[in-house]
Amino acid sequence: MNDEAETATKQRVRRLVYMAAGGKIQEAELGSGDTDLRTIGLDSLGYLNLLEGLERTFGVAIDLDQEEDHSFLHTIDNIVRYVGERSTAA
Amino acid sequence: MSGTAQIRAALSAALDRHRGRTAVVGGSEALTYEELGRRIREAAGLLRDLPHVGFCLGNRPEYVVLYFATLESGGLPLLLDASFNTGEIAAIRGDCGLDALVLERAKAEALDLPGKGEPLPFAGDVVVLPLARDGEPAFKPRPDTEVCRFTSGTTGRPKCLEFSGGAVVSAARNWVEGTAMTGADRTLCLAALSNGLAFNTSLLSTFLAGGELHFLKGVPLTRPVARRIAEAGITRLVAFPTLYRNFVAPGGPDRAALASLTHAISAGAPLWPDVREEFRSLYDLDVSDYYGIAETGPCTFERHAGHHTGLGEPLPGAEVRIAPDPPDGPEDVAGAGEVLVRTASMASGYLNHPGLFEARVDADGFYHSGDRGRIVDGRLHLVGRTQDHINVAGRKIDPTEVVAVVTALDGVQDAVAFPDEDLNREALVHLVVVAANGELTKPAVVEACRARLAPWKVPGRISFVREIPRTGIGKPRIAALREQLNARKEPAG
Repeated sequence: MNDEAETATKQRVRRLVYMAAGGKIQEAELGSGDTDLRTIGLDSLGYLNLLEGLERTFGVAIDLDQEEDHSFLHTIDNIVRYVGERSTAA
Repeated sequence: MSGTAQIRAALSAALDRHRGRTAVVGGSEALTYEELGRRIREAAGLLRDLPHVGFCLGNRPEYVVLYFATLESGGLPLLLDASFNTGEIAAIRGDCGLDALVLERAKAEALDLPGKGEPLPFAGDVVVLPLARDGEPAFKPRPDTEVCRFTSGTTGRPKCLEFSGGAVVSAARNWVEGTAMTGADRTLCLAALSNGLAFNTSLLSTFLAGGELHFLKGVPLTRPVARRIAEAGITRLVAFPTLYRNFVAPGGPDRAALASLTHAISAGAPLWPDVREEFRSLYDLDVSDYYGIAETGPCTFERHAGHHTGLGEPLPGAEVRIAPDPPDGPEDVAGAGEVLVRTASMASGYLNHPGLFEARVDADGFYHSGDRGRIVDGRLHLVGRTQDHINVAGRKIDPTEVVAVVTALDGVQDAVAFPDEDLNREALVHLVVVAANGELTKPAVVEACRARLAPWKVPGRISFVREIPRTGIGKPRIAALREQLNARKEPAG
């Protein structure tokens, strides 16, 4: 993914996180891509919404049982890297 | 028969009656009724001499086997919320007594409890963790109690509901009869078995009817849920409002994927009317917004496909009354009042809060639910709550507990918590704080709450104000506060 595409993907992921959290996390709190989303209020329901959003937006199929390490979902930067590697639409 | 072992007897008859059929399917594993019976008998040996067995596990066939095996061995299953933390498990242990926990090996190893024994492997990563008793528990179950379930209590001490075998069997039988469940039904249960919804609509009821109970491994995203429904020919989906909302969001599964469904059941929190409408439009199926209470079991269900509003009519064995609002009560909805319920599946009481349940049951045996509603055309419609508890995803939160944590912080002069919604219309706790100086921050409040409260009790929204409007007797004026917050230019945060 080139820089421009990565910036666009990051913006879309940030928006998805904001929507998944139902506005409980302000977009300003998502400015830093390495903030652990679990520490700023993304709860289990928020993650359910985020996974749905990632699957539909980027065309990725996320099966957490197949992923031993779930840290790819912990920060915006990690999510961007993950969808960049697997997406058909990133 | 005596008052005990009624669940065991009902299951045993069902296992015999349906022996060649498939009973439980989870992941790649499928058990016939005959195999389920054999696995239960084998597992009962593992649980011998363990009188109180706590379940702290997600839905899977092993849960079903070990739950019935506990009953088979003469033990008492206590169905904990799988998200309970060490403090809550320790509180339950002290109150009710726990001789073992059924859980995943990783959780067993991480659990910091004194008297922890060596985990006994059961199947896959599921283990039985023996716990040594340190004296007698504070409370002793009633002689006819066969199952205990929990509701979220205050101060990290879940309330333990006792159910007789008769109550559990009645709930299952009445659900089978009231919803016309048959042996052809394949139920995909996505709600936790420790929850009243799943416990009563899926577990024993499925087996009494001779049907199949399916579980889904992993996160309940719409894609794998739809795939399982289509592949297994699922007829009943037992889920929660958020899943239905995700189904109707753009890009959701197409109509053909859910073609085998005859019942879509939602509970835990009220389903949004537009989501119900949209689901019917997309999938040609009405979501049954069933009404049940942890303390009473299932209460209502809509049996008629053409009826699209309200929460349905009382199930067999359930009676619903509306108590008129008191003269000084809310008068915003004609005919509304507190919902009173009497069922054949009522709890016997709270094991660790003696007298609390009894205080909410009137002389006629009706439980005072705390919900406000009215009956229209024979159907129950809810219009609000008479009590101040906040319902977040089916878990009731006492706002005074949240406020107590926050007012203990330095610099907090006043605080109030009340129910609110996020942008996705999910219920949340909105905490409003008056701080003495501008130094107290939202992250500091969140951190304090996380350190002292269960995760679902942590406020989803926090606002700071100069003053909380109160009545002459000091009661917060929530409506005025909401108006004040809504009038702000900036988001509440």
